[in-house]
Amino acid sequence: MQALNFKKIILVTTLLVVAVVAFIFFTRRKPVDFSAQVKPILNKKCITCHGGVRRKGGFSVLFRSEALAKTESGKFAIIPGDPEHSEMIKRLTSKDPEERMPYKHEQLSKDEIEILRRWIKEGAQWGDHWAYVAVQKTDVPSKPDWAINEIDNFIDQKLKEEKLTHSPEADKATLLRRVSLDLIGMPAPENISQKFLNDNSEHAYENLIDSLLASKHYGERWTALWLDLARYADTKGYERDDVRDIWRYRDWLINAFNKDEPYDKFLIEQIAGDLLPNPTDAQYIATAFHRNTMTNDEGGTDNEEFRTAAVLDRVNTTWEALMGTTFACVQCHSHPYDPFTHDEYYKFMAFFNDTRDEDSYADYPLLRTYNDSMQNKLTELIEWMNKNVSPQKAKEAYTFLKTWQPAYNTLRCDSFVNSGLSDTKWAAFRNHGFFRLRNVELTDRNNLIFRVASYKKGGDCEIHTDDANGAVIAKIKLDTTKNYDWEIEEAAIKATSGVHDLYFTYTNNNLKKTTDNGAMIDWLYFTENFPGEGKPGHDEMKTVYWKLLVADVPTTPVMMDNPSFMHRVSHVFERGNWLMKGEVVEPDVPHSLNHLPANAPHNRLGLAMWMVDKKNPLVSRTIVNRLWEQIFGTGLAETLEDLGTQGVPPTHRELLDYLSYKLMNDYNWSIKKLLKEMVMSATYRQDSKATDEMLQKDAFNKFYERGSRVRLSAEQVRDQALVVGGVMSEKMFGPSVYPYQPDGIWLSPYSGLTWIKSNGEDQYRRAVYTYWKRTAAYPAMVTFDATSHEVCTARRIRTNTPLQALVTLNDSSYLDMARHFAYRMQKEAGADVSKQISRGYEIIMYKPVSAEKLQALKELYDDAYSKMKNDADKTCEIIGEANEHNNPETAALVVVANAMLNLDEVITKN
Amino acid sequence: MTRDELNNQRLVKEANEKHLHFVTRRHFLKESAMGFGALALGSLLGGCHFGDSNSYAQTLFDPAHPLMPKLPMFPGKAKSVIYLHMAGAPSQLELFDYKPDLMKLDGQLCPQSLLEGKRFAFIRGVPKMLGPQAVFKQRGQSGAWISDNMPHLASIADELSFLKACSTDQFNHAPAQLLIHTGTPRLGRPSIGSWVTYGLGTENQNLPGFVVLTSGGRFPDAGKSVWGSGFLPSVYQGVQCRSEGDPVLFIKDPQGMDRDLRKASINAINQVNKEEYKEFKDPEILSRISQYEMAYKMQISVPDVMNINDEPQYIHEMYGTEPNKASFANNVLLARKLVEKGVRFVQLFDWGWDTHGTSPGDAVDIGLINKCRQIDKSITALILDLKQRGLLDETLVVWGGEFGRTPMQENRDGKQMMFKGRDHHTEAFTMWMAGGGIKKGFSYGETDEIGYSAVSGKVTPFDMQATILNQLGFDHEKFTYQFQGRPFRLTDVSGTVISDIIA
Repeated sequence: MQALNFKKIILVTTLLVVAVVAFIFFTRRKPVDFSAQVKPILNKKCITCHGGVRRKGGFSVLFRSEALAKTESGKFAIIPGDPEHSEMIKRLTSKDPEERMPYKHEQLSKDEIEILRRWIKEGAQWGDHWAYVAVQKTDVPSKPDWAINEIDNFIDQKLKEEKLTHSPEADKATLLRRVSLDLIGMPAPENISQKFLNDNSEHAYENLIDSLLASKHYGERWTALWLDLARYADTKGYERDDVRDIWRYRDWLINAFNKDEPYDKFLIEQIAGDLLPNPTDAQYIATAFHRNTMTNDEGGTDNEEFRTAAVLDRVNTTWEALMGTTFACVQCHSHPYDPFTHDEYYKFMAFFNDTRDEDSYADYPLLRTYNDSMQNKLTELIEWMNKNVSPQKAKEAYTFLKTWQPAYNTLRCDSFVNSGLSDTKWAAFRNHGFFRLRNVELTDRNNLIFRVASYKKGGDCEIHTDDANGAVIAKIKLDTTKNYDWEIEEAAIKATSGVHDLYFTYTNNNLKKTTDNGAMIDWLYFTENFPGEGKPGHDEMKTVYWKLLVADVPTTPVMMDNPSFMHRVSHVFERGNWLMKGEVVEPDVPHSLNHLPANAPHNRLGLAMWMVDKKNPLVSRTIVNRLWEQIFGTGLAETLEDLGTQGVPPTHRELLDYLSYKLMNDYNWSIKKLLKEMVMSATYRQDSKATDEMLQKDAFNKFYERGSRVRLSAEQVRDQALVVGGVMSEKMFGPSVYPYQPDGIWLSPYSGLTWIKSNGEDQYRRAVYTYWKRTAAYPAMVTFDATSHEVCTARRIRTNTPLQALVTLNDSSYLDMARHFAYRMQKEAGADVSKQISRGYEIIMYKPVSAEKLQALKELYDDAYSKMKNDADKTCEIIGEANEHNNPETAALVVVANAMLNLDEVITKN
Repeated sequence: MTRDELNNQRLVKEANEKHLHFVTRRHFLKESAMGFGALALGSLLGGCHFGDSNSYAQTLFDPAHPLMPKLPMFPGKAKSVIYLHMAGAPSQLELFDYKPDLMKLDGQLCPQSLLEGKRFAFIRGVPKMLGPQAVFKQRGQSGAWISDNMPHLASIADELSFLKACSTDQFNHAPAQLLIHTGTPRLGRPSIGSWVTYGLGTENQNLPGFVVLTSGGRFPDAGKSVWGSGFLPSVYQGVQCRSEGDPVLFIKDPQGMDRDLRKASINAINQVNKEEYKEFKDPEILSRISQYEMAYKMQISVPDVMNINDEPQYIHEMYGTEPNKASFANNVLLARKLVEKGVRFVQLFDWGWDTHGTSPGDAVDIGLINKCRQIDKSITALILDLKQRGLLDETLVVWGGEFGRTPMQENRDGKQMMFKGRDHHTEAFTMWMAGGGIKKGFSYGETDEIGYSAVSGKVTPFDMQATILNQLGFDHEKFTYQFQGRPFRLTDVSGTVISDIIA
């Protein structure tokens, strides 16, 4: 016994010694990895007090230069190569509780201190956070036997590390439903699904994917996602929340996705389409991405304040939605955790700050969309000007006719004397009053075109330079405009050179009281007389010009930069306060990321080029991570909105990088190709059944040992019900529609807007076409976690509440869809009730219903039927009208259909 | 359910919930040992701590049981809140802030010193001063000044704590309402009711935790954002209950679907779901099953609690309610019923207090008196009713607008106006609180002799929010949620608990 124990001790000791030696041998050889080992400790234990805003004791671990600098005490916290004299190590190990760091918190573990000690010994090399380093080509792990493409190799590697195994492939029906919901956001159209179910070839699944990717419904599904990022809405937001016509941007997105516009081009057009050479209407409309910011029409609000709010929102959205970085912190102070400084925020803001939009009521600048005949006239006019005047003038005329820019909005007028900004929107004249418009470029201008509404005959307006009594450069007669509505007029101005403050005076003795408004001006465009005097066709072309200029045409808010004479200077805002303007800044990108490409201009176009530069570490990773989340339920890095040091570290960083590299280099930014790779993988095709063991080892399926199960999005819940009910309208594009919603949802003060239910097929359009009012968004969808779109939603948080059940159980829309679903079951399955229910189940799930489920549903039918058969009123109420379906059998089936649309497996993507 | 039964249920729930808390915690610990789950959720909840805040927020949001009752940071005196917001901003000068000196200045031109550097929504040029358009008396033991516009409320002056020197920095309705309810004049942040339901959950799972009731024919200017959940999960947004139409959207069974049939269909749904669970073992299926059961119960309990017809006659007389009509008084009675049933936060918005003097309806000597009549009886009844039910001590009642009114008469666009009105004013207004551990018969803060600005005891929206959270058991500086890379809190970066008014 004794001897045996002794032997045991020797054996154990020997093993231990071997282990320790091996440990020292192997670990000593590999230097400490800053990003993997050191940075997590600094971030978790040090940075809250020693980084960004807080630099207690004058010590910060955010940047290497800061960490190696002398601290307030005069000592160096970190002396590279000399841990024993580094104050940091002394403080971490001190016995004195007043000295020991982290102050008043638990001491670092021995391992942690050892890592820091070794790191300092090895020279305290800094490394960048993974997401801020350019994407490199990644080695692919070896191929397991179950793999279909490289994604599986990466997944398999982690599964093995975690001692987990993959699941078998899901059955055909499950795959069909899963991939349809993922790629087109709704069940596949019947021709596609039937083809797949009947196709037994080895390419059946791939053919299915190709058909879905080619479906016109693909664009609608991915647009719904993008609208969250773009904070798209059909209203302007804030108190009045009035109408905004911006749905052409939604349609642009659908087309772009359907055409599989490369993601780099897709971004360039949305960020800076207006700055591309000779931008097309579509390129202008793409820029409405950043015109989805809110506009405040409440009387008395400061337009500059809300212009600034919109610009800040563009900055934050660009970072959060497109670069997975929470940049808003930097608005008030340097980033506490990530390498961005306070002034870099404002340098970045400067890219967006020099635009023409100014919180005006009309949402200027607007792109004016002409009909075909007008467009032909415009082409003719521009060709004439190119030939007879100059390409420069032709371009100016084109821009002005298409956008009414660059005009001065009178909301920027000041020095009002017996005049004022009516409803803080338009400069309004009263008798013997005047106002001022500052800094107007007058060189080479002899003509003024302006938009005016005048209420009293006999108004005389004069424009004076530099003083209300200064030289008169224009005298304008203002008679009443038609219906007192806005009109565009012109006036000659005396040639003057240079930049001047202009004073607009007004007299009108027909106004009885000094406090009555006589006229209002919206905008002023200083230009030259219509050029080409004496050239053939001049008079005719001038008429065309004016016809096009005043034409009442549909518009879309777009981005447009100020011309140089309207340039807006950008400042740092002290502590984030827009009224406290600090130093002047020029547009630039943060120092810690890639530089602006050499050929990139310092404007939004340059910014867009920088974003899609292959050296940009964030753009490709962010979109790959987002698409992965859409397909697999959770991002490879869960925090889509934050890939920075405070985001959740990716579960499969190498895979994220692998796909990001591939997207840029092999796929030339094709989103369809990337999605195809994801849904082709064996990882994606796995069955989603869990076992107790799986739940214990990997409850959240972080390692993809099985298929993911996710509740459908708000849009998918609606679209699926429309499709299975057989009522979904195939109509695409156009103004947003008004499906049924209960009364009393819209009650904005000071706005006469009402929800008028759409007729006919517009009642059954896909969710993406639903009218979106910011202050009162469509309630059935909001309940399923759709957001108001006041600001960008980088990730929807899925919830599970009883209010969701109430929508799909009781909302009249859903009852209506259930009715149509029941009619369809009857039509397709004949008279037998069990067959009808089975058919219904098959329509949704593509597979036969189990006996147990069928029994539960059949019992519900029997229950309902027994109630209906002797109750003609109830029957008619369920059917809704006394039509051919008004019989107890159908009514009972509607009750079953209503239940079926509420099944967990129906509102879950399995 | 009687009060006692509810209390018993509450105790059982608290015990269960402590257990759940423990289980959840253990679950998280286990997960973090494995490296992921806790982090994943932590990021949603405030995983990083800017400064020294403790890890309180870590376990607040459980996606499967988001409204499960939770304990506050420390035992709070109040368990629920009824917040009465008078949208449009009532005039303090005709209600609670008595300024005899202002009467002497009536009709005189406003001195330049009050106008220089100030921004007003509508006043232009030099307006005239406007004396108080109401008769004031001192009331009760406390001697609080309350005008004859509120005769009923005057009778319970000794129950109230007045904040006489409230101020804000927003002079337009929508931003000012947002500031007072969400801590910022911009959109996008959670409302106070959302914060509270996020932090405390709710005690009656058959009712929403945060209920909003509106009256006056319009929503508040800032729209639904004043009860929105901002960046918190949407489950915490206020649920608007309506006194006309469905009390909660989609709560009513479709026509022809009676309760038995609804029950049968939910049974069938859940039976199929159980079959599905056998196959997939996804815990989310189980929570779906319980949500459907809960939805069924809500369909009974919501219409039940929203029905005031069965209240005894004396209650109707006390509140001045008129069953089957939409009115503020009805909403006040509903607020009492909801709180009694365990709803955490009830928010009332009454529109129509914007007394500019452009018409009789918005004149401080005509329209305002009508508005006061619409609320006076019911809010008085609310305090008395809560008291007689022993609920006032644990229910915090808050009354106020989004800003105050000017001591000057409004002269919109520089013109003399037909009626007596006052413009928006940021520097002084009165709010009051009652119950929920607040001093009785107390007044805090003072304005100058014309009621233009605070001279002592100035209170900001943040101070108010900090105080409400404090009464519920939250340190407003530590009650945070991680969003856009930093922990956000209701009070942004300021706010001090108004300790003087705490009993």
